[in-house]
Amino acid sequence: MSRRLFRERMNEAWLEIRENLGRASLQSLGIMLGVASVLGGFSITDSFKKRSEQLYVKMGGLDKLNVQTSPVATEGSPTAMRAANLGLRQQDREDSAELKPGEVQGVSMVRSVRARVRSAQADQERQVLGIGGDHLAMEGYSVAQGRSLSTQDVESAAPVALLGSSAATDFFPNGDALGSILRIGNTPVQIVGVLEERYFVFSKENPRNQFWRRNRIIAVPSSLVQRRLQGDVHSRLDRITYRIPRIDAMPDFISELKSILKPNHRMEEDFRLDDVQSRIRKRNNNGEAYNLIFVLSGVLALLGGGLVNVNIQLASLKERVKEIGVRMALGAPGNEIFKSFMTEALLLTSLGGLVGLGAGVIFSWAITTILGVPLAMAFSSFMWAYLLAVVFGFAFALYPAWRASKLSPMEALHYE
Amino acid sequence: MNPVIQTRQITKTFGSNGTAVHALRGIDLDVAKGEFLALIGPSGSGKSTLMAILGCLDRPTSGTYALDGEEVQSLSGRELAAIRNRKIGFVFQSYNLLPKASVARNVELPLLYAGVARKERRERALELLDQVGIPEKAAKLPGELSGGQKQRVSIARALAASPALLLADEPTGALDSKTGAEILELFGHLNQQGNTVVLVTHDLGIAAQAQRRVVLSDGLVASKEE
Ligand SMILES: Nc1ncnc2c1ncn2[C@@H]1O[C@H](COP(=O)(O)OP(=O)(O)OP(=O)(O)O)[C@@H](O)[C@H]1O
Ligand SMILES: [Mg+2]
Repeated sequence: MSRRLFRERMNEAWLEIRENLGRASLQSLGIMLGVASVLGGFSITDSFKKRSEQLYVKMGGLDKLNVQTSPVATEGSPTAMRAANLGLRQQDREDSAELKPGEVQGVSMVRSVRARVRSAQADQERQVLGIGGDHLAMEGYSVAQGRSLSTQDVESAAPVALLGSSAATDFFPNGDALGSILRIGNTPVQIVGVLEERYFVFSKENPRNQFWRRNRIIAVPSSLVQRRLQGDVHSRLDRITYRIPRIDAMPDFISELKSILKPNHRMEEDFRLDDVQSRIRKRNNNGEAYNLIFVLSGVLALLGGGLVNVNIQLASLKERVKEIGVRMALGAPGNEIFKSFMTEALLLTSLGGLVGLGAGVIFSWAITTILGVPLAMAFSSFMWAYLLAVVFGFAFALYPAWRASKLSPMEALHYE
Repeated sequence: MNPVIQTRQITKTFGSNGTAVHALRGIDLDVAKGEFLALIGPSGSGKSTLMAILGCLDRPTSGTYALDGEEVQSLSGRELAAIRNRKIGFVFQSYNLLPKASVARNVELPLLYAGVARKERRERALELLDQVGIPEKAAKLPGELSGGQKQRVSIARALAASPALLLADEPTGALDSKTGAEILELFGHLNQQGNTVVLVTHDLGIAAQAQRRVVLSDGLVASKEE
């Protein structure tokens, strides 16, 4: 089949569409809505995913492995061995120090305690976070005033503290936190730094500052909690966190870490490893499920649109029977009628699909603006939405086109 | 030289046994090249049925039909479409123009199916519109024309592919007598240029102007007048 014939058909189809704009736009409405809803659906999930990623970056990244104490889940009362276990300790951190130095980009320790915290202006029961290693950097904190905690502070269990922005105003509403003294339990500590305020609002639907809790932080050296606030000779920890940027290094690291930790814990797994990235990934798979739902609803819209389209085409076929009869009398063979119907349908779906993509962009933009999430659209979403439309448009055009091509010229011509 | 039309014992039966209508019951008809033939007869005598068969829109139930020397009664639908396209020009009583296409595009249609390039099609259409006397209407829609003008468009369209045979089923049936006479004059003129014309009419005055008259009655040729 020659290219010229195809061009002729396109021309004819284009004229046909222009001559019957009302019918044509009605016909492509279903396609338009289908494309818009598929694209819109994809883009809204994409936008939320993107927003989540922004949040994770601000949280200090997902490339972390948390080790936490956790009770061994068994029936009945614990054995003597288990009861004698101490949980996660500073020792565990030190024993793992040699592990894959190339892969581990940071380690942090946390030992927290609830304590009475007092300043001249406030007296509250608060969580006090004993931190060590690279905790602040790994959690995305930065210092606004004063200094950070030094290695020296942690080694010597120095009585110093950092305050999050809202903690600072809680205890020192006059803004003179830096250099002041805070009493944690009975231990006086000096405020050496105030942290930058952290702020992230996910969407208008969820307008709370995601970091409000982090702004309440009261951080002291972990050793201070262990030695002075709790008098714990075993230097127990609540959590050790490793930053491992190379995701494929994680499984090896996990198994080697286990083999180091287990002997320390009398071969009991009274600790829990939490690969943050893979956990979030799993949760994001729910997003994939949403995507599937959106695709399905788009497919349903296309299906509905397609059926409406078939109906319109069959109805318009009635008003076109006479015309088809005339064309046949003038020498159009059945397959030419078929091809011209198909070309017309294809042109209509392509054009309707384009309009649908435009509508989808507007739709996604409107929804994300209402929800207050920045719009993220992937090229592949456009491709999928368009592909679906063209496939549906084609499939649903087949039957009316076939019916038209099978008309007998004589009957068509005398159809009233 | 081959006659343009040669039919032998053509019959056409609609429906089956009980309700069968025998519209044609054995037609022998010869039309030579360049003839102007009027087909007359009472309503229901089978004129339109015969025209449909002559125009390859329909197949005879039995009998043979050679058009321009080629037997057509057993050709496939696709082949018949090609024959209609190249050998036959139809003029209908109700014009049968595509209402939303311009006059020029209507005239071009047979050439489109003949695979003629767009530019040539347009040129030929304008030439034909000139020939039928309405060169200025090319860009108009059929709805903007009078009945006589519409029929001229449909004649131009029938002539587009330079067919061997012009078939007109009551081309003046929807026109007033003055316009009808003008259209008839146009057919006469085309005939003088060498076109073979077969025309169905009720109007004996019109029939009188043809070279030859064939009268159908109840599906049979009742008489042929030279
Ligand atoms: N498709 C059809 N199905 C059944 N019967 C038909 C069909 N077409 C024509 N007939 C019958 O065949 C006979 C001849 O019809 P035809 O239309 O050829 O007559 P005609 O001579 O053209 O009449 P008129 O002058 O009224 O146009 C009529 O009895 C008609 O009822
Ligand atoms: Mg008739």
